[in-house]
Amino acid sequence: MINYLKSLFVPETFTLSNGKVVKSKFNWTIYIVIALFFLIILAGKFTGFSFETLVDKGANFFDILVKMVKVDFAYFPKIVGPMIDTLTMSLLGTVIGAVFALPAAFICSANLNKNRIFIRIVKTLISIIRTVPVLVYALILTYIFGIGTFAGFLSLTIFTFSICTKMLYEQIETLDNGPFEAMESTGSDKVKATWIAIFPQLRSHYFSTMLYNFEMNVRSAAILGYVGAGGIGLILNENIGWRKYGRVGMILIVLIVTVIAIESLSRFIRKRLG
Amino acid sequence: MIEFNNVSKVYSNGCKALSNVSLTIEQGEFVAIIGLSGAGKSTLLRSINKMHSISDGILNVNGVEVSKIKGKELRKFRRNIGMVFQSFNLVRRTSVINNVLSSKAADKNVLEVLFGYYSKEEKISALEALDKVGILEKAYIRADQLSGGQMQRVALARTLAQNPKIILADEPVASLDPIMASSVMEDFTKINKETNITVIINIHHVDLALKYADRIIGIRAGEIVFDGPSANITDDILTEIYGREINDDERMIKND
Repeated sequence: MINYLKSLFVPETFTLSNGKVVKSKFNWTIYIVIALFFLIILAGKFTGFSFETLVDKGANFFDILVKMVKVDFAYFPKIVGPMIDTLTMSLLGTVIGAVFALPAAFICSANLNKNRIFIRIVKTLISIIRTVPVLVYALILTYIFGIGTFAGFLSLTIFTFSICTKMLYEQIETLDNGPFEAMESTGSDKVKATWIAIFPQLRSHYFSTMLYNFEMNVRSAAILGYVGAGGIGLILNENIGWRKYGRVGMILIVLIVTVIAIESLSRFIRKRLG
Repeated sequence: MIEFNNVSKVYSNGCKALSNVSLTIEQGEFVAIIGLSGAGKSTLLRSINKMHSISDGILNVNGVEVSKIKGKELRKFRRNIGMVFQSFNLVRRTSVINNVLSSKAADKNVLEVLFGYYSKEEKISALEALDKVGILEKAYIRADQLSGGQMQRVALARTLAQNPKIILADEPVASLDPIMASSVMEDFTKINKETNITVIINIHHVDLALKYADRIIGIRAGEIVFDGPSANITDDILTEIYGREINDDERMIKND
């Protein structure tokens, strides 16, 4: 037992019967586990986490939950419109973001574009765009374009563009470059060579990336209404504010059913795409 | 006509791939380049259509000084030179005919390419190219359904549809079985004889080279060590090219 514990911290030394000595490799695992343990405790201190509050106030959560279970079904017709808004802005945002992501991804792919500095700059710009949360875009865009679905749609477009571009160029860099070389040897320029030799290899991955982003967008679109960017989040925010938990329950049911339906459909199609 | 005049190539990592190569290849010749891996065969071949650019010397292809051209001019120049690769380099996820048509994309405008528009004449010419290499019936099959030999034939048809004056083939039969290799080599011979297209092939199989090519260029460590008719090749010359004797086991086809 002591030996086992010791072996976790320091390398073991074995002496074979013929006198040869073998030393095991130094293993960081235990040190990392200990460090993580202290970091978690530290994080708890920083965020003011306490079990007392959790037990004390946590009960309120169940109160609200109980109120939500008394679902206000009569509210359903009022949800359909905002839900369709949410879906429309997710769908449009996904499609348009993904359309712009395709050329951007081609430009960013190291195997198609040999201009390293240019690639570095574009990739950095796109990763900056990606770092900003979609909620922040929505907030800014509602100031510019006013409250409504247009700001939501636009923020989803920007977000989808940045994510799709990254997912696509990482895929492109793994593709077979031979056909592209063959196209260049026939005298095609890079645009034509990319379209003919690279896109067919990317096609199914492209559509599956698009669907995956659509799933993510429906989920984030639900929250965009909180900052006034339209859709189901708007009425969710309203009804929580008015403490109409029965309605909140109804909204959540519609949202959950829709998201699950879209996820299963998307998974089904993506499987077909291979 | 292809003229190498004291051509050298040094890669950015310092590796010297060609040194002072001088040779002339006339229109309609069938030339095989032989030598060890890394001797500079690929570099020699790929410098002709500037897939690799040379560092020194003068390379003239049909009156064009290759090192002087770039961009649009280079692409136009490449239209006249077909290229065939060891790994075929077909777009596997599309049909055979689309692969053949792709060699015509360079002449079309971007919108036509984007929408995949090809005229009836272009389609007929692509089908005729497939017929020439004997796989017309595969035209509408996806390229990934074909065997290696068939894929190389499609690649050859793609090159033919480009109406080239020169065909460069970089190890075109290296990934094929011996029977397929011979029949693809026969296709090259047929094309060379019937259309007077210059054919230049990099090849590892000495016997195939001797059997099908009219002229052999032996290259060793970036230098030409033999250049002459296939009939003049002797075991001594092969020893010089390869640095040691080639034994019977290493030949692809046993001499009858």
